[in-house]
Amino acid sequence: MNRGLSSRRVITTVAAVAAVALSFIVTPSSRDGVALAVLATLTVIGGSVLLSSDLRRAHPVVTRAATSTMAVSVSLVATFFFSSTTNFNLATGAAMAVTLVGLSFLTGVSGQVSLGNGAFMGVGAFAMAIWSNHHSTTPIVVTLLISIVAGALVGLLLGLPATRLRGPYLAGMTLAFAVAFPAILTYFNSWTGGDGGLQLPNAATPPHWLRALYVHGTTSLTSGTLWLTDITLVATGVAFFFMANLFTSRVGRAMRLVRDNEVAAELVGVNLNRARVLAFVVSSSYAALGGALWTFLNNSVTPATYSFALSIVILSVIVIGGIGTIPGALIGGLVYAYSTNVINWITNQTGLNPQGNFASQLNGIIFGGLLIVTMMLAPRGVAGVYYTFRHRRASPGGDVKSPSEETYAEA
Amino acid sequence: MDIFLTSRIASDVLGGVTNGVIYGLVALSLVLVWRSTGILNFAQGAMPMMATYVGMIAFGHFFGYWICVVIAILVGFLIGAGTERVLVRPLYGKPEINPVVVMVGFLTVLEAVAAAIWSSTPRSLTTPFSPIDFHLGGKPFALSAFSLYQIVTAIVVMVAVAVLFRFTNLGLQLRASALAPEVSRLLGVRVNRMLTLGWTLSTGVGTITAILVSSNFFTGLTPQVMDGIFAFGFIAAAVGGLDSPVGSIVAGVVIGIILQFVGDYVNSNAIILVALFILIVSLMARPNGVFSVVKARRV
Repeated sequence: MNRGLSSRRVITTVAAVAAVALSFIVTPSSRDGVALAVLATLTVIGGSVLLSSDLRRAHPVVTRAATSTMAVSVSLVATFFFSSTTNFNLATGAAMAVTLVGLSFLTGVSGQVSLGNGAFMGVGAFAMAIWSNHHSTTPIVVTLLISIVAGALVGLLLGLPATRLRGPYLAGMTLAFAVAFPAILTYFNSWTGGDGGLQLPNAATPPHWLRALYVHGTTSLTSGTLWLTDITLVATGVAFFFMANLFTSRVGRAMRLVRDNEVAAELVGVNLNRARVLAFVVSSSYAALGGALWTFLNNSVTPATYSFALSIVILSVIVIGGIGTIPGALIGGLVYAYSTNVINWITNQTGLNPQGNFASQLNGIIFGGLLIVTMMLAPRGVAGVYYTFRHRRASPGGDVKSPSEETYAEA
Repeated sequence: MDIFLTSRIASDVLGGVTNGVIYGLVALSLVLVWRSTGILNFAQGAMPMMATYVGMIAFGHFFGYWICVVIAILVGFLIGAGTERVLVRPLYGKPEINPVVVMVGFLTVLEAVAAAIWSSTPRSLTTPFSPIDFHLGGKPFALSAFSLYQIVTAIVVMVAVAVLFRFTNLGLQLRASALAPEVSRLLGVRVNRMLTLGWTLSTGVGTITAILVSSNFFTGLTPQVMDGIFAFGFIAAAVGGLDSPVGSIVAGVVIGIILQFVGDYVNSNAIILVALFILIVSLMARPNGVFSVVKARRV
C-alpha cells in the first residue's frame, strides 16, 4: 500500500509538470500560460485524489473538495476556448444550478417544495445591486455574502410559520410570496429603481486583486467578460462543495429522518422546528446567491426577470433533473441554460411562425408538460433514472434498493 | 344615512365585500377539493379560466351572455371530472409534493395553451349589468349593478353548496367518503365517484368565479386573470382553515374588506404585502386556520 501511494505521487507529479509545460506551449502569452498551468495542476491533483480509493473512503470531505476543484478547474480551462455566448450561457446555467441545489436540499431533506425560489433569487439579485450602488468599493466576495444574508433573512421571516405547517401550506405560502414579489419591488421603488431596475455602478471592471495577478491587466482573462463567467463558476463550485457536505452531514441526516419519520426523529432528539426552518433558510440563501450571480453577470437587474413564471421554470428544471439530488441540480442548470436554444430549434424545425402566439407559448407548454410527465413516470427525474438503472445492473436479480438512499450518499 | 352610505368608510366596506366574495368563492373551491381528496389544487385558477375561454368562444357571435355562462359552467364540470380521473387519480397515496408539482405543471400548460390559442390580449365580456356606481342624493356610492350581480351570485352559489352538503343524500355521501373512505365503501358509497364529484363541483364553483372576475369591465379575460385572485383565495382558505368552508368564506370577505382599506388609505402596491403579512401571522398563531375545528395533530 505504501509503495502504491508513493508511485501515485510520482505519477501525479509527472502529470502536473507535463500539464504545466503543455499550458505554456498552448497559450499565446506567458500570463495566460500561468493561469492555465495553475488550473491544469489543480485538475491533476484533484484527479489523483479521486482515483485513490483509500483516500476516498477515509476522507469524504477531501474527496468532495477534490471533485469540486477538479470540476471547476476543468470548466475554467474550457471557458478559455469557448465563445463568449457559450460562456454566458454556461454561467447563467451555473448560477441557476446554485438555486436549484438549494431547492433540491429543501425537498430532499424535508419533503416540501417551495414555489417562491424565483422571488428569493430576486431578493439576492436586488440586494447585490442595491448594496453595490451604495458601497461600490466593497469586494465582490463580500457583496455576494451580503446578498446571501439578505436571502437568509427573508427566508427566516417566511420560514418561521413553516415550523408549524404541515401539508402543502408551505408551497401555497411561497406561491403567494412569488406572486406578491413584483408588487413588493414596486412598493420599495425608491430602493429598487421601479420598473427599470438597477445598473451596477462599476460595469464590467474586474476587481483589483484579479487585475493585480496580471501586471498590465490586458490579458484575455481580464479583458472582455471571461472573468465574469470564471468568478461565477468558482462561486458555483464553492456552493456545491458546501451543499455536498451538508447533504451527508449530521444535520442533513437528521433532516432526512424528519422527512421519513417525524416520530422517530423526535425520539432521537432532533428538533423538528429548527430542522424545518434551517432547511428553508438554506434553500432561500442559495437562491439569493444564484440571483446575485445573475446580477453580477448581467451588470444589471430588472424586476421583470423575477416574476412568478421564473419560480415555475425553476421547479420544472429541478424536477426534470432530479429533485432531492445534487447531480439533478447540475442537469437542471444545463437544461435551463440551453432551453431557449432548444426551443428556438424546435420552432425552426417545425416551421412555426416565431412571432406567432403558439411559438411564444411553446416554452410554457413544454416545461409544464415535462413537469407533469416527469412527476408521473419518474418522480426523481434524470438523476433518479440513472441511479435506478445502475442499481439494477449492480445487483442483477437482487433487491433493488430505493434510489433515494444512494442519491444522498452519492452526493 | 345618505351621508354615511356615500362616505369613504362605507364605500371601502362595500368595495371590500365585492372583492371579498370572490376570494371567498376561490377559497370555497379550494376547500371542496381539499376536503374530498386532500390535495391543494394549484390549478384551481387555471382550470376555470380555460372553461371560461371555451364557453365564451360563441360569445358575441350567436349566443348571448347567459347561454355562454351555462356552456362555460358545463365545460368547467367536464374539466374538473376529467382532471380528477386522468391526472389526480394516479397521485393518491404518493408523497405530498407530487400532486403539488403536477398541478403546478397543469397550471403552466393551461395558461400557455390558452395564450397560444386566444393570445394574451384581454377580451372583454360585456355583461347586462352596468359597472357604473349607483347614486344616492346626487353622490355616487360604491355599489353598481355589476357588483350587486357579483355579490348575489356568490351568495347563491355558497347557499347552494351548503344545501347540497347539509340536506341531501348526495351531500351526506360526499362528506362520508371524505371523512372515512373505507367505511363508506363498505356501506355502499361509491367513493371514487364521490371524489370525482368533489373535483367537478369545485371546478364548477371556480368557473362561476372566473366568469365573474373576467366579466369585470376593468380586468377582462386573460390567461393569467386568475393568478393574483388565486393567491388571495389561497390566503383566505389558509387563514380560515382548508377544511372549513364557512371559515374560508368569512376569511375571504374579511380579508377583502381589510385590503380595500389598505389600498385606499396606504397604497395599492401594499395590498399583497399586507395579505402576505396576514397569512404569516395567522399561520403562526393558528396553523390549522382560525375557524378550524380539527385539533392540532399530536404525535
